[in-house]
Amino acid sequence: MMRLFSFAVLLLTACVAQLGVAQAHPHVSVTSTSELIYTGDGSVTGVRHVWAFDELFSAYAIQGIDTKTKGVYTREDLAPLAQVNVDSLKEFAYFTTARAGGKKEKFGDPIDYFLEYKGSSLVLTFTLPLKVPAKTPELVLEVFDPTYFVAFALADKEPLKLVGAPANCKLAIEKPNESKPQQNLSEQNFLNGENANYGASFANRMTVACQ
Amino acid sequence: MLRRISCCVSIVIAALAAIAVSDALIHAVLAQTPFGAPRPAAGVQQTGGVIGWILAKQSEFYREMSGAIRAAKSDGSAVTTLLGISFLYGIFHAAGPGHGKAVISSYLVANEETARRGIVLSFASAFLQALVAVLIVGIGAVLLNVTAKTMCSTERVIEIVSYALIAAFGARLVWTKGRGFIGALQRDRSGGVAAPGLVPAMSHAHASASSHGHAQHDHGHHNHGHDDHGHDHHHGAHGHSAHDHHAHGHDDHEHVHDEHCGHNHGPTPDQLAGPGGWSRGLGAIFAVGLRPCSGAILVLVFALAQGLFWAGVAATFVMGLGTAITVAAIALVAVSGKGLARRLAAGREGGGVLILRGLEFGAAGLVLLLGGGLLLGYLSAERVTCF
Repeated sequence: MMRLFSFAVLLLTACVAQLGVAQAHPHVSVTSTSELIYTGDGSVTGVRHVWAFDELFSAYAIQGIDTKTKGVYTREDLAPLAQVNVDSLKEFAYFTTARAGGKKEKFGDPIDYFLEYKGSSLVLTFTLPLKVPAKTPELVLEVFDPTYFVAFALADKEPLKLVGAPANCKLAIEKPNESKPQQNLSEQNFLNGENANYGASFANRMTVACQ
Repeated sequence: MLRRISCCVSIVIAALAAIAVSDALIHAVLAQTPFGAPRPAAGVQQTGGVIGWILAKQSEFYREMSGAIRAAKSDGSAVTTLLGISFLYGIFHAAGPGHGKAVISSYLVANEETARRGIVLSFASAFLQALVAVLIVGIGAVLLNVTAKTMCSTERVIEIVSYALIAAFGARLVWTKGRGFIGALQRDRSGGVAAPGLVPAMSHAHASASSHGHAQHDHGHHNHGHDDHGHDHHHGAHGHSAHDHHAHGHDDHEHVHDEHCGHNHGPTPDQLAGPGGWSRGLGAIFAVGLRPCSGAILVLVFALAQGLFWAGVAATFVMGLGTAITVAAIALVAVSGKGLARRLAAGREGGGVLILRGLEFGAAGLVLLLGGGLLLGYLSAERVTCF
């Protein structure tokens, strides 16, 4: 009886406490296409992102924006919004990490940024310059939101282009495996740690190795 | 002996609750600083197995929603599809962890609530949530044609108010339940002497007396601050004693309620809709339901852009229905868990009641922690991101 009672109480407490773990729900999805920009001596100077927002978020973002022609959104019309975008993204470190030989590189403020309205999708283009150009045999670029508020997906075709990279550089792309959660969802898998790297399956990892 | 066991259990519960809460806080802190912490750690903590699946499922429905609205433009029957997707989205959206369920469940555990009230609270808060979303977009976008940024700032303000409400609500629960818990503690200490048959009547009297004392000596000032902040502003105008008097009367009323239930008399129908009953529940409804779901806002604006605002409104309310069903199911689990604990506690003297009061106090504390954490930004449920 006592055991049953304490069990009930523990279960209840655990249940309520677990619910308290507040987590993010994705409400923005972005299809990302990027370019790594190299200089003549083979060092990376920055990343140029082209991010296409989903149509729900796009419709929300352009709500109430004044345009010269109704329903036509030019770069100029969207310029204030682009400014807000890049300003806000700073807080989230542009959802981008670059590691040169394992060391995290620092990005400066974005340059050459603008928004376009293509089809029913807002597309944000911006360049993130590395504070110090990186010359490295291995560069790992990741684009994702660890809090999963923004769901980043790499574009199907050529999610990363190497612009001006030395000929010996090879690109490997690791996309999150979306079918994985359904297959591996047994509690046992989860408990014994096989799924412990689940979060990593949301990561979009691009590795450039130059030998 | 028994008391020692219950004491151990209480300690375990307290420890477990503390671990769970600090765990939640750590998760949330990591979430706030996306790249401050090692990436894999933050990633793993954000998306566990089942939760990952729920998140994947709901984003699947979410993605389908824009297509369904688009289809409804040319084909009226597609509205049915839209409503179906919205309903499923609501169910899955609410199944993912979020503070709304936590607040409602904790509230139900902290108070002596019936399953029916749990369901009513869940539906009412979900309905309010849908209504607020429709009002924000209806007034903001349809009537005033403001930008997303303005709407987002509005959401942000509502969010802060809602978190403050949760914190105030939690503070009030902690105050009430803390007294009950301390009363039970004291009773537990002195109760050993009492003849078993006399315990219910005696403890009843004792509880009133002891909480009376506490109200005035230990926590009086705390209560004053919280209550003032949370609601009843007019109390401030009265003298300190007047305020105390009033607050006291109110708390006493609630205390009597609890004592009844603590002794397993079961809730009476008038408790369901009685004057004290509903106003207490209203706090929970507003604290949880005031803050709209970002998903609903996005769907509404998209529907508006497609010239089908009404379809968006219908989708939002159906979404709310789905949310309500999930939250109600979780609330039912909380209520039955509490019911089980209460029945088992009724079988024993002192210690059982003590654990019950401790549980209520813990649940009340959780509401306060959640509110405070959300308000101060340690916890992030759904970030309202204005970009």
